[in-house]
Amino acid sequence: MTMLRPTELAPVPGAQEMLVNLGPQHPATHGVLKVVLGIDGERVTRAVPHIGFLHRNHEKIEESRTYHQVIPYLDRMDYVSGLQNELPFCLAVEELAGIEVPERAKYLRTALFELNRIISHLVWIGTYMLDLGAITPFLYAFRDREAALDIVERTTGGRMLPNYFTFGGVRRDINPRFWQELTGFVDYLEGVLPEYEALTVEAPVFRARTVGIGVLPPAMAINHGISGPMLRASGVAHDLRKDQPYDAYPWLDFEVITRREGDSWARSKLRCQELYQSIDLIRQCARKAPRTGPYLGKGRLKIEAGRQRYRAVEASRGQLGVYLYSDGGPGPYRSKHRSPSFTNLQVLPDLFVGQRFSDVIAILGSMDIVLGEVDR
Amino acid sequence: MVPQDRPALRSIPIPKDRRYQPRHVGYSALKRFTVRELLSYGLLFFALAALLVTIYSLLPWLIKQVPAFVVGGELSGWGQVVYGVLAAILGFTVVAVAALILILMLRKYLALVQNRYGPLHYGPAGAFQTVADAIKLLVKEDFTPGKADRLVFTLAPLIVFVSALLLLTVIPFAPGWVLADTSVGLLIIIAAGTIGAYGVLLAGWSSDNKFGLLGGLRATAQLISYEIPLALSLLTVAVWVGSLNLSAIVEAQRMWWTALPLVISLLVYLIASLAEIKMVPFDLPEAESELVAGFNTEYSGMRFGFFFVAEFGELFLLPAIAVTLFFGGYHQPLAGWWDFAEVLRGWGGFGEFLANLYGLFWFLLKTALLSWLVMWLRATLPRFRDDQLMELCWKVLIPLSLVGLVVAVVLRLVFK
Repeated sequence: MTMLRPTELAPVPGAQEMLVNLGPQHPATHGVLKVVLGIDGERVTRAVPHIGFLHRNHEKIEESRTYHQVIPYLDRMDYVSGLQNELPFCLAVEELAGIEVPERAKYLRTALFELNRIISHLVWIGTYMLDLGAITPFLYAFRDREAALDIVERTTGGRMLPNYFTFGGVRRDINPRFWQELTGFVDYLEGVLPEYEALTVEAPVFRARTVGIGVLPPAMAINHGISGPMLRASGVAHDLRKDQPYDAYPWLDFEVITRREGDSWARSKLRCQELYQSIDLIRQCARKAPRTGPYLGKGRLKIEAGRQRYRAVEASRGQLGVYLYSDGGPGPYRSKHRSPSFTNLQVLPDLFVGQRFSDVIAILGSMDIVLGEVDR
Repeated sequence: MVPQDRPALRSIPIPKDRRYQPRHVGYSALKRFTVRELLSYGLLFFALAALLVTIYSLLPWLIKQVPAFVVGGELSGWGQVVYGVLAAILGFTVVAVAALILILMLRKYLALVQNRYGPLHYGPAGAFQTVADAIKLLVKEDFTPGKADRLVFTLAPLIVFVSALLLLTVIPFAPGWVLADTSVGLLIIIAAGTIGAYGVLLAGWSSDNKFGLLGGLRATAQLISYEIPLALSLLTVAVWVGSLNLSAIVEAQRMWWTALPLVISLLVYLIASLAEIKMVPFDLPEAESELVAGFNTEYSGMRFGFFFVAEFGELFLLPAIAVTLFFGGYHQPLAGWWDFAEVLRGWGGFGEFLANLYGLFWFLLKTALLSWLVMWLRATLPRFRDDQLMELCWKVLIPLSLVGLVVAVVLRLVFK
């Protein structure tokens, strides 16, 4: 059943349209996104995204939980990078309640945050290549992601839903081999990444499929509120790790990566460059992090009525923010999430219309959305 | 706050067999190809070879045992009818068995490249997995979508399958081992490919599914376009050898394979045949991530099985044609210099049979290597876009195949 509002049903002049439901059960939509495409031959004449198939009422549930009880729910938003979701909420609560975070915990959180970016980008590279018809990079990426997940598991107890960050630091101490394992993993990853790049973003067929496809001009990106790799691939140097530094980022040395092209290939290449950047950041964390000291700051979790706070972090998909409003109770009165996938998805119709049907897949994959985060 | 006395998670050593072992991508993975697996593939190819031997050698002999079917040492009219029917049934089996073996090979090879095991449980090293799959397809519900055109929906996979079967009829697997030793062998190959395009189009159209329709249209455009470079590259062989008969073409390659002078045509043929069997990077008609399953979206059970078997049968037959036309067919390399088959033939009647077996061995070996090349590409490459596919065909392959044709003509004028 094609769901289109009457205004959207107005015929496109001069086109012989066929409406195709891309999703919600479709191999390339990475979950339950549905896009109603009007296609004229292989040319897309309109695209209407339908979301909400995975809506789980996160924000409302959080209003009836205490602050601590909220954290496990956050993991389930962007299930590909679970740890990253916890951080903005923790930052906001810490600032509202005035809880200090020890330096060691800051480095820990930063390293795990970047490890999660690696995990997320590996999943992206695999699934994107799957969209473009190559199955092998998917399995390579997931094999290496497995190693990263093992580190997360040995540290937090969970793999994809770690429930590890908390207000004032992290929930439990790391195991003694943590930094060693982490640097060992990034050393390995740095060794294989060039090969993956040759197999994926630098492959001639991949370039033929993505160069000049789905070009997102900087102005349009800013107007749509795009963030993350999509925005930086359009040439806008916006990175919350630099612009609103949190945790250990002020002490780390890195540059904001941007690319000018703004097409699907630029977005892909930028994510590959970010993988190298994350490797570098993890190494810096491992070098600079204090080996002893508390992993959890002291403080009382009491937020006065009427206080509010918006805190955002640069997650692997973009600006992941949380807005908290307290009524003085044990939990948030209102908790609003700003998820990058949802905002990035808004530009979808503008990018799709006029492209070929195959390009739709190439563009959608390069946007790197996670439906758990879009629908919440 | 959380109490401060929570210990770190105890770091439990991972058991050795579960330990993460980074492995270099690519060739080092080949070490995992164990003797057991190689043996099981040898076994499977033996099955294929046995079937071929049965058709080409035992079948005429068996029929000749019935006096009514023999006239003056040759098969009579009725004898030929019986031979034709039995050969068709066995040919069906050959294509099916070849498909089963190649599906298994593809799955195992992909698993090898992708650092996983692939089928493991049925038979030695998972050798009978595809047999189990085929039985599953056979016993599945015979389902036709409500709005599908029932007749065409059933006919389409048969057309595709028969087009694959037709290719088998003209391929000589050993001297004299060919079902139809006609003087228009190359034309039959071209015709069979064209018929296949009908089947795919009808399948997409009759299943009343938008993805199916799109896939069918894409497939038709692709197959019809790639027919041209394919036919042109086949034509160069005809020009070079001076015959459309495949046996004559093979015999002309005793010493030097056609691949040497006609390397351009060979390249064109290999690329175009990739498009013909709808393999990566030309698998647009069934592009899973775009068109769900393309023209066979609505197909299930044995109807789907026919598509599947035809596709993988072609994965065997198109390389087999390449071997026949470009790589000396059943001849061993440099057979004009010294031929072991000649030694065998010198032993008399049974030696003749052994020589044919020897030829069959070389034929299957070369075909397996070429099929492996296709699988290698499948494991490596992403998929083209439809317009790029067309551009590659019309702007690159067709001019290239014309160049190949000119080269063949010039070479023939110079050397023959």
